[in-house]
Amino acid sequence: MRFSIITKWELKETLKSKKFLTIFFLQISVLFLMIFIFNTFAANIESEKGISITPSLSGFASLDVDDQGYLFSKYINPDIIEVKNYSYNYSIERIKTGQTTGFVLVPEDSIDKIRNIGTINIQLYLDVSDPKRSVIKDEVTSTTKLMGDTISSSWVDSLAPQNVTQTINQQNTGESLPLQIITKAMIAILLFLPLFLFGNMMIDSVVGEKERKTGEILMAMPLSTTEIIMGKSMAVVGIIAIQVALWMTILLSTGFEIINPLIVYLLVFITAIPVIGITVVIAAYSKNYKEAGIGLTFGYVASVGILMIPALVYLSNKSISSNISPLTMVIRILSGENIPIWQFLIPIGFVAVMSAITYWISIKLYQRDDVVFGPRPGLIRLSLELIGLKKRRT
Amino acid sequence: MKVIALSRKEAQDILTNKIYLLVVFVQVFIILGAFGLAVVTSIATDPALLDSYGITSNLKVGVDSQINKSSMADYLQEQKFTIIYYNTTEEATKYLGKGLVAVVGSSPQGDITVLLDNSNVFYPVASQKINDAIGKYKQAKKLESAGLNQSTIDIIQKPVVLSETDINQDKKAQIALDSSYFVELMYGFIVPFILLLPFFMASNIVTDSIVGERERKTFEVLLMAPLTSSMVILGKTIPILSFSMLQSLAWILLLDFLKVPIFNPLILFLILLFVGLGFIGVGIIISMLVDSTKEANSAITLALVFATFILFVPLFINAPYFETIFNFIPTVLMVKISSTPIVENELLLYALPTILISAIIFFLSVRYFRHERAIRL
Repeated sequence: MRFSIITKWELKETLKSKKFLTIFFLQISVLFLMIFIFNTFAANIESEKGISITPSLSGFASLDVDDQGYLFSKYINPDIIEVKNYSYNYSIERIKTGQTTGFVLVPEDSIDKIRNIGTINIQLYLDVSDPKRSVIKDEVTSTTKLMGDTISSSWVDSLAPQNVTQTINQQNTGESLPLQIITKAMIAILLFLPLFLFGNMMIDSVVGEKERKTGEILMAMPLSTTEIIMGKSMAVVGIIAIQVALWMTILLSTGFEIINPLIVYLLVFITAIPVIGITVVIAAYSKNYKEAGIGLTFGYVASVGILMIPALVYLSNKSISSNISPLTMVIRILSGENIPIWQFLIPIGFVAVMSAITYWISIKLYQRDDVVFGPRPGLIRLSLELIGLKKRRT
Repeated sequence: MKVIALSRKEAQDILTNKIYLLVVFVQVFIILGAFGLAVVTSIATDPALLDSYGITSNLKVGVDSQINKSSMADYLQEQKFTIIYYNTTEEATKYLGKGLVAVVGSSPQGDITVLLDNSNVFYPVASQKINDAIGKYKQAKKLESAGLNQSTIDIIQKPVVLSETDINQDKKAQIALDSSYFVELMYGFIVPFILLLPFFMASNIVTDSIVGERERKTFEVLLMAPLTSSMVILGKTIPILSFSMLQSLAWILLLDFLKVPIFNPLILFLILLFVGLGFIGVGIIISMLVDSTKEANSAITLALVFATFILFVPLFINAPYFETIFNFIPTVLMVKISSTPIVENELLLYALPTILISAIIFFLSVRYFRHERAIRL
């Protein structure tokens, strides 16, 4: 248990640092920002308008209209399209000189056509040299459909006022994919996010010793490599545990529902162990901060992939193997599913195996003088040496 | 000449740094990934594109024997669904979500029941198409009961016909996907994001360069050289800015290759030049305030988070009150300039605040950069 000395020392130094505390509370402010964004998304999904991830740019494309009876213009969505009323000749000239992307000509006799049940022919002139033509075409097509539906309804009401007895019942089964992602996956992702926010602390703790040349003193202390690595790692895992607990408390107090919070917390907490394990491997191999930073980016992208991909697979086809990711299990808990106890063993087993592998590698790396003090062997040679396929150079 | 010598040395440092080159390489994957994602989501949400790529015909709708005999089956087929016939609605319902996106059945009272699988990826399109089919079916039923003939029903069902005439065909823009969603997503977010990526990296390079020199204790040697503070700053800025501008040029060419034509590149470069100066200026100021690369990285990350917020959030906010202010945001300008073949002169006036603010930031960074501060004397 001598590694606890290092853990205590690292924790004390970290918690004393004003910079760390600033970053720690900035992360909490990021959480509040995310809560706001998620609430906005969820509100949009539940509204009739649905969710749209397209940018909401006003005046993105412009359209000229000649519509004397205001039959067409009143249905245009003004959010993206800037509409101007101009005559045919002027608008065509504007299209040719690139001042507008399209022009809609509604025939003057349209009102008479509506009265006499006749087809209205609307003409769209489109500047095909402008890539925004599809935005205009799409808006004009949907506006035409809306206008047509309204005219049809009025004709139907006047020609066939009687009600048809046949009714149509519509039922929807299953939760929509965007809603599932927002309400279940996003909260789970938020809970797992702190795991990836303290990698720099670990890098600083290991690479910093190399850069400051204090690693030699540490190695000379009466502590084994295992104790040094475990001591440093557990300090970061401890900080993550505090941050996850804080985030969960904030989420619960802002109205988010977390079913079985203790089990969820434990699952997130144990996942922090291999994540930090990966960070230590990168830190143990890296020569400097810059190299460690790049390695960490790639390492974390891969870790996020390992957590996320099975979770997304689970959302679409509920396969048992997708439970390998603790994120999947948390999503299932948050969905209120009844999960058999044995299924918990799948992510726990995966986390245990990954932890054992990553800490074993990092301890082996830290035991080697050539890795810690240089000259460092190449990645392929080092891998072969670690698995015993090549003998270590002496 | 001294500035050129320093610039050459900095350029050499950048080009021989494996990490910077790796980041450039990673950007290619980001661009290809963003483009691919935009293509896939555009196809998945656009009924017309789904039809043209034959994806709708892979969406299966189950109908029972009663519906099979009615015109509802024809209206569903008109929407290009693949219709699977079952004896009863209950039988079809068993396959809902397991191959079937929807089930259209009838009750013993003769009513129509529609069951839709919400969790299907193509649910929005399927729902829209089924609603169209239902609408037409209901309308036709009502008109038939009123004793109207088929030609009148046809006119009533399609009262407006839209014809299209293309203008400027000789200059037709070749676009990867002629879809509204794709164009809005690419020009409205991805293009400014891609073009600004190198400048995010520029602020990192400048802090690396200044703080790195200080950490390696080579800064004293540089500052002892007969160069003024402004010359040192220029010598470091020119190669970093050129490196970023070259990357942006390469990304414009790559986007052109992917059939996302970028219009008015010269005006875009002018805006990017000043935005780049602003980013580099922020990087220099941060370098003066911090003690180590580690601190510089944390500070620059924080600065870039705020920059991202200011530059990209306005693209997704629909706030009429702030519309005038948003028009001055460089990303909003970039969206309009990059997607419009001929830009009105008035639009260029909106670039003035960006130019002014960036120039001020850079000027402040030059003023703030003093030899004594740089080496902590």
